[in-house]
Amino acid sequence: MPRAIRGVLIECEPAIKSILVHIDSTELRNDAIIEDLDDTRLIVKELMVKELQKRLNLKLKETYRPEQPLEDDSD
Amino acid sequence: MASGAPPSFLFSEYLEKLPAATFKKLYQQPSTAFAIFRRMLPALAKVYVQALLYMSEPFSVKSLNVWVAPDGEIASKQALGILRSLHILEVVQPDKTQPQAIQLTANFKKSLRLALEGGGSHNSFGVPSSLPVDPHINIAFLDNWAGTIWHTILYYVVDSFPSTLGQGPGRSRAAPKLAVKGLLEAGGLVRVAQGGQTQISERGFNFLLQEANAQVWSLLLLWLEAIDRLRAENKEAVKQDNVETLSFLFMLASLELGRAYDTSALTEVRKNMLPFLSDVGLIYIDPNNKQQYFPTRLATTLTSSSSTLRSVVASFDAAVAKTAGDASSLMGNNPSSTHEETGIIVETNYRLYAYTSSPLQIAMLSLFCRLNMRWPNMVTAQLTRESVHQAVANGITANQIISYLAAHAHPQMRRQAAVKGTQLLPPTVVDQVRLWQLECERMTTTPGFLFKDFDTVDEYREMSLYAQEIGVLVWKSDRTKMFFASKVEPLRDWLKMRKKGN
Repeated sequence: MPRAIRGVLIECEPAIKSILVHIDSTELRNDAIIEDLDDTRLIVKELMVKELQKRLNLKLKETYRPEQPLEDDSD
Repeated sequence: MASGAPPSFLFSEYLEKLPAATFKKLYQQPSTAFAIFRRMLPALAKVYVQALLYMSEPFSVKSLNVWVAPDGEIASKQALGILRSLHILEVVQPDKTQPQAIQLTANFKKSLRLALEGGGSHNSFGVPSSLPVDPHINIAFLDNWAGTIWHTILYYVVDSFPSTLGQGPGRSRAAPKLAVKGLLEAGGLVRVAQGGQTQISERGFNFLLQEANAQVWSLLLLWLEAIDRLRAENKEAVKQDNVETLSFLFMLASLELGRAYDTSALTEVRKNMLPFLSDVGLIYIDPNNKQQYFPTRLATTLTSSSSTLRSVVASFDAAVAKTAGDASSLMGNNPSSTHEETGIIVETNYRLYAYTSSPLQIAMLSLFCRLNMRWPNMVTAQLTRESVHQAVANGITANQIISYLAAHAHPQMRRQAAVKGTQLLPPTVVDQVRLWQLECERMTTTPGFLFKDFDTVDEYREMSLYAQEIGVLVWKSDRTKMFFASKVEPLRDWLKMRKKGN
């Protein structure tokens, strides 16, 4: 008898995926990822998607400097 | 959101959640059956309904498959799936020895026949009022009235966005009715922040970028779901479902614009709906004469299948829009600006020149552009990485931005593109907007169900194949024997059927 598990399929680049796996294991006590499908896909608990996304954006911001547009009069 | 399922923004989603008994009752009304047929079915499904409508015996599945070309098999299965999920079609199998056959469900068949042939005393298409009609209530008046009401609602949502231009002189100060405000809040289109200030939400952005017809439906769905919640809280008998409410909406859609209808012919439930429908501009009730109600264009186009882009094209050629008579003609610019050419010019350096004085359109632009200057008839703006990132963070997609710009392009842009044979929008801009979106969307998410732990390879293969045929399969891996589907109900039913078959 097959099982059906409710979740959210996440598709992303391999690099992003490994960051997600890292976040899950270090910050979220393996509580977000249900199933590791392959290099680019994960199944994640519905409730944890937002949290994971937030933490991913934080991680990316640490490494990423957006170049300033020439005529930026910051609003 | 605390209360269970999120509000569905698609009417078809809402319908699919309804139980079979509700459909049975809904289809007792010829107007409902007709409206569903018109609005909800893809072309192929319509062909099937038309073919089956006057068949006296169930039609065997084998004969049906003869009609289908090999490469159209998936489309055919999908059409049949939709028909089944709307309870229009049922599969019958009198006994094991006979082949499976399909037929239309009894109520739907009867009602659609009645709708096409006329006859019966069902009053399903409204009762015209026999009382004299006030001569000032004509189509132009109704259009104007409904347009004002609908604009007020849109302004209310847009206004809650902290526009960089602040309160322009053209901003409408009128507010929608309290009930409508409450609904927009409950549906999460706007949030009330501290100090009573409203703030637009992700859903609100999506709402604004929808076409007119879809906007009306979104609002009605919010309302239907609000009623559902209210009933659940008051623990009212489950018996009272949305049948009356829904079938009244479908009836409205079949009424004639500019005609007066009799309120006394309505049931109590329907009478109670009138105030709200008038608040959102679907019907007009003369304050001096409550015996009559007038459907507006917003109501009569509810179930028209033509997807009406809310475009400035409507105002670009006002005369055409008037005769075309779709809901979008209500959504165009101010009547005063219809003589000039209005629209947005997009340059390859991401600058935008929007020739418009409509505060609604300017506010829309501010959702994804940085506005630079405002002139009496024009605003200048720029698409920047930040502005697009901001928009994406608010739930607006790059495609929505691009299609908005394309739909509202200035006639000059159209002429240029036509003469030179190039694309309407500069390709660099289109690509860059998409790239900017990609920067903030490092992953795509699809809610659904993972199927695993199959007993046999065959079971996996058959089930994933079935999921693919009915169009719910998102991903599968033959190696690990797992697949991901967006819906679970049809697959569970299929599994039960299979168990029985063995």
